Amino acid sequence: MFDPTIIAEHWFWWLTTMTCLVWYSTVTIYVAIRGATDIKQMFQRLQALADEQQPPKA
Amino acid sequence: MSHFTWVDGSIVGMYLLITMIAGIAVRKYVGKVEHFLVAGREMNVFLGIASLAATEFGIVTCMYTAQAGYTRGFAGAIPGICNAIAMFVVGWTGFCVKPLRDSGVMTIPELFEQHYGKFVRWLAGVVIVLGGLLNMGVFLRVGGQFLVVCCGMNLRYLELAMTTLLVGVAVYTILGGMLSVLVTDYLQFIVMSVGLIVVTFLVLGQVGWGTLVGTVQTHYGAGGFNPFITPSLGWPFVLSNLLTNTAAVLTWQTCIARLLAAKDTRTGRKVYTGTAFFFVCRWVIPGIWGIAALAMVEPAVVQSIGLQFGEKDGSLFAMPYMLSQLVPAGMMGLLVAAMLAADMSTDSSYMLTWGSVIYNDILAPFRKTPWPEKKGLLWNRCIVALIGVFLLFWGLWYKLEGNLWEYLQTTGTIYLASMSTLLIACCYWKRANDWGAIAAIVVGAALPVLSLSLNLFVQVPVLDAAGQQVIQEGKALTEGLAKHYIGDNFVNIGTFALVAVAMVVGSLLKPQPKSSSRPAA
Repeated sequence: MFDPTIIAEHWFWWLTTMTCLVWYSTVTIYVAIRGATDIKQMFQRLQALADEQQPPKA
Repeated sequence: MSHFTWVDGSIVGMYLLITMIAGIAVRKYVGKVEHFLVAGREMNVFLGIASLAATEFGIVTCMYTAQAGYTRGFAGAIPGICNAIAMFVVGWTGFCVKPLRDSGVMTIPELFEQHYGKFVRWLAGVVIVLGGLLNMGVFLRVGGQFLVVCCGMNLRYLELAMTTLLVGVAVYTILGGMLSVLVTDYLQFIVMSVGLIVVTFLVLGQVGWGTLVGTVQTHYGAGGFNPFITPSLGWPFVLSNLLTNTAAVLTWQTCIARLLAAKDTRTGRKVYTGTAFFFVCRWVIPGIWGIAALAMVEPAVVQSIGLQFGEKDGSLFAMPYMLSQLVPAGMMGLLVAAMLAADMSTDSSYMLTWGSVIYNDILAPFRKTPWPEKKGLLWNRCIVALIGVFLLFWGLWYKLEGNLWEYLQTTGTIYLASMSTLLIACCYWKRANDWGAIAAIVVGAALPVLSLSLNLFVQVPVLDAAGQQVIQEGKALTEGLAKHYIGDNFVNIGTFALVAVAMVVGSLLKPQPKSSSRPAA
């Protein structure tokens, strides 16, 4: 996978492929961690909005 | 012989159970139509990126991008690069998406009503739904074919398995709408990413980069690396893909739904720029799998699998067959779970976002007064269910002719060319009016439908370089009339060009009112 002569011959596609693999190995983890926080906040906000619209109990 | 065992079945079953529970659990938060269609506009950046990346990668995506790698080498991944460039530029500049999100609409045709009037809104809705349904109609069939070839599933159980999967997806989509879609997309994004990475390292480890490059060089020469020097691709292929992908970024329902569900315009634009590179990945990674299949699988085997499904071209099945031979038991469960995750996130989002156009725009003339939220939710849920039924019957009935990506591109163009032109004119050209809009919609739908019909009903013989008819297995090889004389790429480019002309000419032909500085719709 790392033979310099083969890499140099088609460097663009080697670089693109490796970037894709690194991207899916690293950025995905970051997006997943931050996405979990986003989900939590989204439902907290929706719950708060639903509570606001509830008529006050007598 | 596939390596799918009971261990793999358990992994898949566990994943499906968790997804269903998560999807159904959020239904209690759906109180209004706005919650159902755009998640109450509470979606933040990273959830948006995960959701969009998961939605836009289904089994069907994996199949046609691998087919592109198998039939075109590395050059087959060019559409992904075009898509990523378009997505990044649109997100970065806010071109069209800023005025669209700022307007606060729930669908694109709703914005058109403000500029072109009620009839254009309704007509745009019809064209969007027509193009979208034809496009997603092949998803279920292709997904099923992947499972049959990859897992060695008996062909008799294919329809039952795909129906069960679709019902599962429909249940959580009907109950939770966009909220369920976002949560399940998030889970599917994680499972899908793990599966993609593991399988790609396995493929690269087994086949090796040198073999991949050598295989492409042997089969396609320099054209397998550079689309501009391939006679069958060339600049029309690149330009056609640049136009289609830019239009898709601006108007494809699943993309736009994320923009419109975002908390604000800035968040929506960040989702676009953040997701852009995932579109390169979704072409390159399965493309590598397709090239590996080209290196490992005998063409006769590929052809025989195609014939088993009644397809003239077996290239679609090379990648799943290669995986069935390469991926060991245990890891096969992860692969199938990843692929089911990819497919479920795609199906649910497509059903919901195209359903939103039916409810919001096609049914708009029938809502003389605003409907109560309960009635709106009931209608939306019924529409999603009906789309599910359509997917089932169309998916099992329709037989694909030729290259899958070209089919998706042509059916998508039914509305991509006209809707993107209408959106650009709506945002940036004050003279644009309903005459131009209607002309653009008619031209944009007529040309791809005409091309598809000619390809389906008028066949012409394929000739070799010497002008002799090509014979394959005792039969004369034929192809569609439009494909033979014009080519799919020129049909696409021509449609975009003529739609723009129709928009300009139609708008200029309409007399301007004297009293107002801005033309009325």
